Amino acid sequence: MQSNETAILRRQRFDEYVGVYHQDMYRYAAWLSRDKAIAEDVVQEALLRAWKSLDALREDASAKQWLLTIVRRENARYFERKRLETVDIDNLTASQAALLAVEEDQELDDMRQAIYELDDEYREPLVLQVLMGYSTNEIAEQMDLKQGAVLTRLHRARAKLRDKMAQP
Amino acid sequence: MNCEDYREAIAADPSFDGGAGHMSECSACQAYRKEMLELDRTISRALSLNVPELIVPDLPDIDSSNVVALSKRRMSPPVWLAMAATVVLAAFVGFRMMGTGVEYGSLGEELLAHIDHEPYALRVSDKPVSDARLDRVVPAELARLDHSAGLISYAQTCVVNGRKVPHLVIQGERGPVTILLMPDEMVSGPESITGENIKGVILPVGDGSIAIFGEREEALERIERKVLDSVTWKT
Repeated sequence: MQSNETAILRRQRFDEYVGVYHQDMYRYAAWLSRDKAIAEDVVQEALLRAWKSLDALREDASAKQWLLTIVRRENARYFERKRLETVDIDNLTASQAALLAVEEDQELDDMRQAIYELDDEYREPLVLQVLMGYSTNEIAEQMDLKQGAVLTRLHRARAKLRDKMAQP
Repeated sequence: MNCEDYREAIAADPSFDGGAGHMSECSACQAYRKEMLELDRTISRALSLNVPELIVPDLPDIDSSNVVALSKRRMSPPVWLAMAATVVLAAFVGFRMMGTGVEYGSLGEELLAHIDHEPYALRVSDKPVSDARLDRVVPAELARLDHSAGLISYAQTCVVNGRKVPHLVIQGERGPVTILLMPDEMVSGPESITGENIKGVILPVGDGSIAIFGEREEALERIERKVLDSVTWKT
Protein backbone atom coordinates (compact mmCIF):
# COMPACT_ATOMS: atom_id res chain seq x y z
CA MET A 1 0.00 0.00 0.00
CA GLN A 2 2.72 2.36 1.11
CA SER A 3 5.06 1.42 -1.76
CA ASN A 4 2.17 1.90 -4.20
CA GLU A 5 1.62 5.42 -2.88
CA THR A 6 5.36 6.10 -3.10
CA ALA A 7 5.33 4.96 -6.73
CA ILE A 8 2.42 7.29 -7.54
CA LEU A 9 4.15 10.23 -5.88
CA ARG A 10 7.33 9.38 -7.72
CA ARG A 11 5.54 9.43 -11.08
CA GLN A 12 3.81 12.72 -10.20
CA ARG A 13 7.13 14.25 -9.35
CA PHE A 14 8.66 13.06 -12.62
CA ASP A 15 5.72 14.37 -14.69
CA GLU A 16 5.98 17.72 -12.97
CA TYR A 17 9.66 18.15 -13.83
CA VAL A 18 9.20 16.96 -17.38
CA GLY A 19 6.22 19.26 -17.92
CA VAL A 20 8.17 22.25 -16.75
CA TYR A 21 11.60 21.54 -18.25
CA HIS A 22 10.91 19.56 -21.40
CA GLN A 23 11.31 22.60 -23.65
CA ASP A 24 14.66 23.47 -22.09
CA MET A 25 15.83 19.86 -22.46
CA TYR A 26 14.88 19.73 -26.12
CA ARG A 27 16.42 23.09 -27.04
CA TYR A 28 19.64 22.26 -25.22
CA ALA A 29 19.82 18.89 -26.99
CA ALA A 30 19.04 20.49 -30.35
CA TRP A 31 21.81 23.07 -30.04
CA LEU A 32 24.29 20.49 -28.75
CA SER A 33 23.62 18.05 -31.58
CA ARG A 34 22.56 20.58 -34.24
CA ASP A 35 20.02 18.04 -35.42
CA LYS A 36 16.32 17.91 -34.58
CA ALA A 37 15.97 14.14 -34.95
CA ILE A 38 19.01 13.45 -32.76
CA ALA A 39 17.71 15.96 -30.20
CA GLU A 40 14.45 14.04 -29.94
CA ASP A 41 16.33 10.75 -29.45
CA VAL A 42 18.62 12.30 -26.86
CA VAL A 43 15.67 13.71 -24.92
CA GLN A 44 13.96 10.32 -24.93
CA GLU A 45 17.08 8.66 -23.55
CA ALA A 46 17.52 11.45 -21.02
CA LEU A 47 13.93 11.07 -19.81
CA LEU A 48 14.46 7.34 -19.28
CA ARG A 49 17.66 7.93 -17.37
CA ALA A 50 16.07 10.68 -15.30
CA TRP A 51 13.20 8.37 -14.41
CA LYS A 52 15.58 5.65 -13.27
CA SER A 53 17.70 7.96 -11.14
CA LEU A 54 14.99 10.34 -9.94
CA ASP A 55 15.57 9.44 -6.30
CA ALA A 56 19.05 10.93 -6.47
CA LEU A 57 17.53 14.39 -6.92
CA ARG A 58 16.89 15.97 -3.54
CA GLU A 59 16.03 19.60 -4.28
CA ASP A 60 13.42 21.04 -6.63
CA ALA A 61 15.73 23.99 -7.18
CA SER A 62 18.34 21.67 -8.72
CA ALA A 63 15.96 19.91 -11.10
CA LYS A 64 16.72 21.99 -14.18
CA GLN A 65 20.48 21.66 -13.83
CA TRP A 66 20.14 17.96 -13.08
CA LEU A 67 18.04 17.33 -16.19
CA LEU A 68 20.31 19.38 -18.44
CA THR A 69 23.33 17.49 -17.15
CA ILE A 70 21.61 14.25 -18.10
CA VAL A 71 20.87 15.65 -21.57
CA ARG A 72 24.51 16.62 -21.97
CA ARG A 73 25.72 13.14 -21.03
CA GLU A 74 23.16 11.42 -23.25
CA ASN A 75 24.19 13.62 -26.16
CA ALA A 76 27.84 12.66 -25.62
CA ARG A 77 26.88 8.98 -25.42
CA TYR A 78 24.86 9.27 -28.60
CA PHE A 79 27.76 10.71 -30.53
CA GLU A 80 30.14 8.15 -29.03
CA ARG A 81 27.90 5.31 -30.11
CA LYS A 82 27.31 6.63 -33.59
CA ARG A 83 30.76 8.13 -34.01
CA LEU A 84 29.16 10.87 -36.03
CA GLU A 85 31.30 13.03 -38.16
CA THR A 86 31.48 16.79 -37.91
CA VAL A 87 28.54 18.47 -39.55
CA ASP A 88 29.32 19.87 -42.98
CA ILE A 89 27.32 23.06 -43.25
CA ASP A 90 27.07 22.78 -47.03
CA ASN A 91 25.79 19.21 -46.97
CA LEU A 92 23.09 18.99 -44.31
CA THR A 93 20.66 16.12 -43.81
CA ALA A 94 16.95 16.96 -43.67
CA SER A 95 16.79 16.95 -39.88
CA GLN A 96 19.92 19.08 -39.61
CA ALA A 97 18.49 21.55 -42.10
CA ALA A 98 15.20 21.54 -40.16
CA LEU A 99 16.97 23.25 -37.29
CA LEU A 100 17.67 26.11 -39.65
CA ALA A 101 14.17 26.27 -41.08
CA VAL A 102 13.78 29.60 -42.78
CA GLU A 103 12.19 32.33 -40.69
CA GLU A 104 10.38 35.32 -42.06
CA ASP A 105 12.83 37.49 -40.19
CA GLN A 106 16.10 37.59 -42.18
CA GLU A 107 18.12 38.78 -39.19
CA LEU A 108 16.88 35.86 -37.11
CA ASP A 109 17.65 33.48 -39.95
CA ASP A 110 21.19 34.80 -40.26
CA MET A 111 21.75 34.62 -36.52
CA ARG A 112 20.52 31.02 -36.31
CA GLN A 113 22.87 30.09 -39.13
CA ALA A 114 25.76 31.88 -37.42
CA ILE A 115 25.10 30.10 -34.11
CA TYR A 116 24.84 26.79 -35.96
CA GLU A 117 28.29 27.33 -37.44
CA LEU A 118 29.94 28.14 -34.10
CA ASP A 119 32.24 25.47 -32.74
CA ASP A 120 30.74 23.38 -29.93
CA GLU A 121 33.07 24.94 -27.38
CA TYR A 122 31.59 28.38 -28.10
CA ARG A 123 28.00 27.41 -28.84
CA GLU A 124 27.33 25.44 -25.67
CA PRO A 125 28.23 28.10 -23.07
CA LEU A 126 26.28 30.64 -25.09
CA VAL A 127 23.17 28.42 -25.05
CA LEU A 128 23.54 27.84 -21.32
CA GLN A 129 23.92 31.55 -20.61
CA VAL A 130 21.42 33.12 -22.98
CA LEU A 131 18.77 30.43 -23.21
CA MET A 132 19.01 28.66 -19.87
CA GLY A 133 19.86 31.69 -17.73
CA TYR A 134 22.99 30.11 -16.22
CA SER A 135 25.60 32.27 -14.52
CA THR A 136 29.20 31.87 -15.67
CA ASN A 137 29.87 29.94 -12.45
CA GLU A 138 27.07 27.52 -13.22
CA ILE A 139 28.31 27.10 -16.80
CA ALA A 140 31.79 26.35 -15.49
CA GLU A 141 30.36 23.68 -13.24
CA GLN A 142 28.21 22.17 -15.98
CA MET A 143 31.04 22.05 -18.52
CA ASP A 144 33.75 21.21 -16.01
CA LEU A 145 35.77 24.31 -16.88
CA LYS A 146 37.36 27.15 -14.98
CA GLN A 147 35.27 30.31 -14.86
CA GLY A 148 37.97 32.21 -16.73
CA ALA A 149 37.74 29.75 -19.62
CA VAL A 150 33.98 30.20 -19.73
CA LEU A 151 34.33 33.99 -19.87
CA THR A 152 36.84 33.71 -22.70
CA ARG A 153 34.61 31.37 -24.70
CA LEU A 154 31.57 33.58 -24.24
CA HIS A 155 33.54 36.65 -25.23
CA ARG A 156 34.82 34.92 -28.38
CA ALA A 157 31.41 33.47 -29.24
CA ARG A 158 29.81 36.91 -29.24
CA ALA A 159 32.72 38.39 -31.16
CA LYS A 160 32.30 35.71 -33.86
CA LEU A 161 28.55 36.25 -34.06
CA ARG A 162 28.99 40.00 -34.20
CA ASP A 163 31.48 39.66 -37.06
CA LYS A 164 29.23 37.25 -38.95
CA MET A 165 26.22 39.50 -38.59
CA ALA A 166 28.22 42.49 -39.75
CA GLN A 167 29.18 40.75 -42.99
CA PRO A 168 27.18 41.95 -46.00
CA MET B 1 38.99 49.64 -15.72
CA ASN B 2 39.90 50.60 -19.28
CA CYS B 3 37.86 50.23 -22.48
CA GLU B 4 39.40 46.88 -23.41
CA ASP B 5 38.73 45.30 -20.01
CA TYR B 6 35.22 46.67 -19.94
CA ARG B 7 34.36 45.42 -23.43
CA GLU B 8 35.75 41.97 -22.72
CA ALA B 9 33.61 41.76 -19.60
CA ILE B 10 30.51 42.94 -21.42
CA ALA B 11 31.05 40.56 -24.33
CA ALA B 12 31.39 37.65 -21.91
CA ASP B 13 28.29 38.66 -19.99
CA PRO B 14 26.20 41.63 -21.12
CA SER B 15 24.57 41.67 -17.69
CA PHE B 16 27.96 42.57 -16.17
CA ASP B 17 27.19 45.42 -13.80
CA GLY B 18 30.70 46.37 -12.69
CA GLY B 19 32.61 49.16 -14.36
CA ALA B 20 29.79 51.64 -13.95
CA GLY B 21 32.29 54.43 -13.38
CA HIS B 22 34.02 53.76 -16.64
CA MET B 23 30.81 53.48 -18.61
CA SER B 24 29.45 56.77 -17.30
CA GLU B 25 32.53 58.51 -18.70
CA CYS B 26 32.97 56.63 -21.98
CA SER B 27 30.31 57.11 -24.63
CA ALA B 28 31.97 54.56 -26.93
CA CYS B 29 31.62 51.86 -24.27
CA GLN B 30 28.03 52.92 -23.62
CA ALA B 31 27.33 52.35 -27.31
CA TYR B 32 29.20 49.03 -27.21
CA ARG B 33 27.12 47.81 -24.27
CA LYS B 34 23.93 48.78 -26.04
CA GLU B 35 25.08 46.91 -29.13
CA MET B 36 25.89 43.78 -27.09
CA LEU B 37 22.51 43.83 -25.38
CA GLU B 38 20.82 44.11 -28.76
CA LEU B 39 22.96 41.25 -30.10
CA ASP B 40 21.93 39.12 -27.12
CA ARG B 41 18.27 39.74 -27.76
CA THR B 42 18.70 38.44 -31.30
CA ILE B 43 20.73 35.46 -30.07
CA SER B 44 18.02 34.63 -27.56
CA ARG B 45 15.30 34.72 -30.23
CA ALA B 46 17.39 32.62 -32.59
CA LEU B 47 18.06 29.98 -29.92
CA SER B 48 14.37 29.65 -29.01
CA LEU B 49 13.53 26.83 -31.40
CA ASN B 50 10.02 25.49 -31.73
CA VAL B 51 9.69 22.41 -29.56
CA PRO B 52 7.85 19.31 -30.80
CA GLU B 53 5.12 17.75 -28.73
CA LEU B 54 6.40 15.88 -25.71
CA ILE B 55 6.38 12.10 -26.03
CA VAL B 56 7.23 10.41 -22.76
CA PRO B 57 8.92 7.04 -23.37
CA ASP B 58 7.62 3.85 -21.78
CA LEU B 59 8.93 4.04 -18.25
CA PRO B 60 9.92 0.82 -16.52
CA ASP B 61 8.50 -0.02 -13.13
CA ILE B 62 10.83 1.04 -10.37
CA ASP B 63 11.01 -1.21 -7.37
CA SER B 64 10.26 1.09 -4.44
CA SER B 65 12.83 -0.78 -2.40
CA ASN B 66 15.40 0.85 -4.70
CA VAL B 67 14.46 4.26 -3.35
CA VAL B 68 16.71 3.73 -0.36
CA ALA B 69 19.84 1.59 -0.06
CA LEU B 70 19.56 -1.00 2.63
CA SER B 71 22.51 -2.45 4.44
CA LYS B 72 23.96 -5.59 2.88
CA ARG B 73 24.66 -7.01 6.32
CA ARG B 74 22.56 -10.09 6.98
CA MET B 75 19.95 -9.61 9.63
CA SER B 76 17.21 -11.76 10.97
CA PRO B 77 13.94 -11.24 9.05
CA PRO B 78 12.00 -9.41 11.79
CA VAL B 79 14.77 -6.84 12.29
CA TRP B 80 15.22 -6.41 8.52
CA LEU B 81 11.50 -5.93 7.98
CA ALA B 82 11.18 -3.43 10.80
CA MET B 83 14.14 -1.39 9.56
CA ALA B 84 13.00 -1.51 5.94
CA ALA B 85 9.56 -0.29 6.94
CA THR B 86 11.11 2.53 8.96
CA VAL B 87 13.37 3.57 6.10
CA VAL B 88 10.57 3.52 3.53
CA LEU B 89 8.36 5.53 5.88
CA ALA B 90 11.18 8.02 6.48
CA ALA B 91 11.71 8.35 2.72
CA PHE B 92 7.99 8.91 2.21
CA VAL B 93 7.77 11.52 4.95
CA GLY B 94 10.97 13.07 3.63
CA PHE B 95 9.45 13.47 0.18
CA ARG B 96 6.38 15.13 1.64
CA MET B 97 8.48 17.56 3.62
CA MET B 98 10.81 18.37 0.74
CA GLY B 99 8.12 19.57 -1.61
CA THR B 100 9.39 17.40 -4.40
CA GLY B 101 6.28 16.96 -6.45
CA VAL B 102 4.09 15.74 -3.62
CA GLU B 103 0.62 17.02 -2.98
CA TYR B 104 0.22 19.60 -0.24
CA GLY B 105 -2.86 20.40 1.76
CA SER B 106 -2.85 23.95 0.44
CA LEU B 107 -0.92 26.37 -1.71
CA GLY B 108 0.29 28.08 1.47
CA GLU B 109 1.80 24.84 2.76
CA GLU B 110 3.63 24.30 -0.51
CA LEU B 111 4.99 27.85 -0.48
CA LEU B 112 6.27 27.49 3.09
CA ALA B 113 7.98 24.22 2.16
CA HIS B 114 9.47 25.81 -0.94
CA ILE B 115 10.92 28.74 1.00
CA ASP B 116 12.22 26.37 3.62
CA HIS B 117 14.18 24.50 0.97
CA GLU B 118 15.86 27.52 -0.59
CA PRO B 119 17.53 28.96 2.52
CA TYR B 120 20.39 30.39 0.44
CA ALA B 121 17.87 32.81 -1.08
CA LEU B 122 17.28 34.44 2.28
CA ARG B 123 20.53 36.33 2.61
CA VAL B 124 20.84 39.90 3.76
CA SER B 125 22.48 41.64 0.82
CA ASP B 126 22.94 45.06 -0.72
CA LYS B 127 23.90 43.60 -4.11
CA PRO B 128 21.08 43.63 -6.65
CA VAL B 129 20.72 40.90 -9.24
CA SER B 130 21.56 42.08 -12.73
CA ASP B 131 18.88 43.42 -15.05
CA ALA B 132 19.62 40.61 -17.49
CA ARG B 133 19.00 37.94 -14.86
CA LEU B 134 15.81 39.66 -13.76
CA ASP B 135 14.66 39.81 -17.38
CA ARG B 136 15.27 36.09 -17.72
CA VAL B 137 13.44 35.17 -14.52
CA VAL B 138 10.58 37.63 -15.08
CA PRO B 139 10.25 37.67 -18.89
CA ALA B 140 8.41 40.57 -20.49
CA GLU B 141 5.65 38.29 -21.76
CA LEU B 142 4.88 37.24 -18.16
CA ALA B 143 4.94 40.48 -16.22
CA ARG B 144 6.35 43.94 -16.10
CA LEU B 145 8.29 44.63 -12.95
CA ASP B 146 9.76 47.92 -11.88
CA HIS B 147 12.25 48.32 -9.06
CA SER B 148 10.07 50.39 -6.75
CA ALA B 149 9.39 47.51 -4.34
CA GLY B 150 13.01 47.44 -3.17
CA LEU B 151 16.42 46.04 -3.93
CA ILE B 152 16.03 42.61 -5.52
CA SER B 153 18.84 40.42 -4.23
CA TYR B 154 17.71 37.04 -5.58
CA ALA B 155 15.85 35.92 -8.68
CA GLN B 156 15.27 32.32 -9.63
CA THR B 157 12.71 30.44 -11.70
CA CYS B 158 11.10 27.86 -9.44
CA VAL B 159 8.30 25.33 -9.63
CA VAL B 160 5.18 25.79 -7.54
CA ASN B 161 2.13 23.61 -8.06
CA GLY B 162 3.66 22.31 -11.30
CA ARG B 163 4.19 25.72 -12.84
CA LYS B 164 7.26 27.86 -13.35
CA VAL B 165 7.08 30.93 -11.16
CA PRO B 166 9.55 33.77 -10.57
CA HIS B 167 10.93 33.59 -7.03
CA LEU B 168 12.35 36.94 -5.96
CA VAL B 169 13.83 38.21 -2.73
CA ILE B 170 13.89 41.87 -1.76
CA GLN B 171 15.46 43.39 1.30
CA GLY B 172 12.91 44.42 3.93
CA GLU B 173 13.49 46.32 7.15
CA ARG B 174 13.79 43.18 9.27
CA GLY B 175 15.45 40.94 6.71
CA PRO B 176 14.91 39.34 3.32
CA VAL B 177 11.36 39.26 1.98
CA THR B 178 10.31 36.51 -0.44
CA ILE B 179 8.02 37.29 -3.37
CA LEU B 180 6.54 34.63 -5.64
CA LEU B 181 4.79 35.83 -8.78
CA MET B 182 2.10 33.34 -9.75
CA PRO B 183 0.20 34.65 -12.79
CA ASP B 184 -1.71 31.37 -13.24
CA GLU B 185 -2.50 30.64 -9.59
CA MET B 186 -5.90 32.12 -8.87
CA VAL B 187 -7.02 32.56 -5.25
CA SER B 188 -10.44 33.70 -4.10
CA GLY B 189 -9.17 36.27 -1.62
CA PRO B 190 -6.18 37.27 0.50
CA GLU B 191 -4.89 34.35 2.52
CA SER B 192 -2.63 34.80 5.54
CA ILE B 193 -0.02 32.13 6.22
CA THR B 194 2.12 31.61 9.27
CA GLY B 195 5.20 29.42 9.34
CA GLU B 196 7.62 28.65 12.14
CA ASN B 197 9.53 31.90 11.90
CA ILE B 198 7.91 33.62 8.99
CA LYS B 199 4.55 35.01 8.06
CA GLY B 200 3.10 35.78 4.70
CA VAL B 201 0.11 36.40 2.54
CA ILE B 202 -1.16 35.28 -0.85
CA LEU B 203 -2.85 38.17 -2.60
CA PRO B 204 -5.18 37.78 -5.58
CA VAL B 205 -3.95 39.85 -8.51
CA GLY B 206 -5.97 39.67 -11.72
CA ASP B 207 -6.21 36.02 -12.79
CA GLY B 208 -3.22 35.11 -10.68
CA SER B 209 -1.71 35.84 -7.30
CA ILE B 210 1.40 37.09 -5.59
CA ALA B 211 2.77 35.56 -2.38
CA ILE B 212 4.85 37.68 0.00
CA PHE B 213 6.70 36.26 3.01
CA GLY B 214 8.91 37.94 5.58
CA GLU B 215 10.17 37.74 9.13
CA ARG B 216 7.45 37.77 11.77
CA GLU B 217 8.40 41.32 12.82
CA GLU B 218 8.44 42.63 9.26
CA ALA B 219 5.81 45.26 8.37
CA LEU B 220 4.51 43.33 5.38
CA GLU B 221 1.52 45.59 4.65
CA ARG B 222 3.77 48.38 3.43
CA ILE B 223 5.78 45.98 1.28
CA GLU B 224 2.57 44.44 -0.08
CA ARG B 225 1.42 47.79 -1.42
CA LYS B 226 4.79 48.46 -3.03
CA VAL B 227 4.94 45.01 -4.61
CA LEU B 228 1.42 45.28 -5.98
CA ASP B 229 2.26 48.67 -7.47
CA SER B 230 5.46 47.35 -9.04
CA VAL B 231 4.02 44.31 -10.86
CA THR B 232 1.77 44.22 -13.92
CA TRP B 233 0.77 40.90 -15.47
CA LYS B 234 1.28 40.60 -19.19
CA THR B 235 -0.44 37.24 -19.61
